[in-house]
Amino acid sequence: MTQEIHSNLHRSALSDWWEGTRRTDIWWTLAWFDIVLRYRRSMLGPLWLTLSMGAMIGGMGPLYSSLFGTELSKFFPHLALGIIFWGFFSSVVSEACNAFVGSSNYLKQGYFPISLFVWRSIARNLIQFAHQIILYVPVALWAGISLSWSALLILPAMAIAVINAHAIGVLLGLICTRFRDVTQIVNSVMQMLMFLTPVFWLPESLPQRAQYVLWNPFAQMLDLLRTPLMGGVAEMHSWLGILAWTVVSVVGSTLLFIKYRRRVVYWL
Amino acid sequence: MASISLKNVAVNFPIYGAGAASLKKTLAASVTGGRFGKETGVTVVQALSDINLELRSGDRLGLIGHNGAGKSTLLRTLAGVYEPSAGEFRREGSVSSLIDPSLGIEMDATGVENIMLRGLVMGMSKKEIDQRTPEICEFSGLGQYVDMPVRTYSTGMMMRLAFSISTSVEADILLMDEWLSVGDAEFTEKAEQRMRDVVSKSGILVLASHSPDLIAKECNKVVKLSHGRLEAVDMEAFMAERARLAA
Repeated sequence: MTQEIHSNLHRSALSDWWEGTRRTDIWWTLAWFDIVLRYRRSMLGPLWLTLSMGAMIGGMGPLYSSLFGTELSKFFPHLALGIIFWGFFSSVVSEACNAFVGSSNYLKQGYFPISLFVWRSIARNLIQFAHQIILYVPVALWAGISLSWSALLILPAMAIAVINAHAIGVLLGLICTRFRDVTQIVNSVMQMLMFLTPVFWLPESLPQRAQYVLWNPFAQMLDLLRTPLMGGVAEMHSWLGILAWTVVSVVGSTLLFIKYRRRVVYWL
Repeated sequence: MASISLKNVAVNFPIYGAGAASLKKTLAASVTGGRFGKETGVTVVQALSDINLELRSGDRLGLIGHNGAGKSTLLRTLAGVYEPSAGEFRREGSVSSLIDPSLGIEMDATGVENIMLRGLVMGMSKKEIDQRTPEICEFSGLGQYVDMPVRTYSTGMMMRLAFSISTSVEADILLMDEWLSVGDAEFTEKAEQRMRDVVSKSGILVLASHSPDLIAKECNKVVKLSHGRLEAVDMEAFMAERARLAA
């Protein structure tokens, strides 16, 4: 028996990826319906998460600012953005694990480019995030944050975040479909990383010998996204570190994508 | 012009859940020197082997075989879900697959919303879907139910919805697993009529079924799958056998 496979349905990895990416109407609609259906029978819908996050920020802000001995007007915006962005990171990563398993009802129906379902998961998280970033508006007004033109650096930072989210989505989506326990590992690692990332605490309060903690990619990404919204400029090492990390994650996910993109249905 | 050509096609499934999927075991095995066999040796099921099949416009193929013979796997391979593990696969023409009616139906969404979702996934644009929605609702005969969540539907109603959506797109190749029988007599007749319409526009039909009657009525070719291999069945012999059984 020959092991050579010929199929005229076969597309190159690049065109396969592009087929899934360019159909924005499909993945936005799927993501939109994910949110709508999840909350169909609740009155506040996705705003429930906003409310609970708001309660957490409101409760933790005064307490932690006195624990750390920092001024509330400085600490509050830091904490609010930290919690909002961390919520985004952690749901992007944990839902990436489920990107293909959660879309098996489509994948088993016909030939779909798998990138479509990674975008679906990212779009869903972006919609959720849009509901939560609202929380920052009253906090920033209260703290009297003044933004300069450098706040626009949030745009390239967000673009890098989305690129990484896509790369990690492909990577973890494939790995977690093949090895189902990885999902659990990822969840516990994310929990640990939350404490190693300056979500709650201020990076300034870190002693010199522990500065290396700030080199974790989540800390750097958070710096890039949070600092411009607080009227500051992100550290240079954050930009460099994230760019290096992006190269790694893009190369890794590309390799896996090329090799396993048509294999993943067999694992469902 | 629709055509399907399979040459020596094989589809092998690695079965993970049966004691092998976990990373721990794979890692443990690689650390301990790769003890294959029971621990991580992945069971591979040869779902299809050495399949040769040529279909061209106007062919209506009936697929028979006992449970687990590989009928659905063959349909899925034709749909492009599984890339063959070996062999040559060519397919010309667009495909509409009705392999499992409940796949791709969102239970909490209404009938109309499901038309939108499934239509998009099948490659239609939003505008096209909006144009066709009334016609699809009409054909499904669900009446007011199209605005109700699908979870309130019976199996038959769900099947009506799925069938109506899937066949609303012009496709050259129609792949169907047997579930036409879920509908009531009136809808079954309507559905069969539509199936014939699709095929008569120079299309191909592949219908997997356990019902010799349905195959005799709808198909002009029959093949039998057993243990993942294809056996050609002479249509005349098939009809004669059926007549003998009916007598």
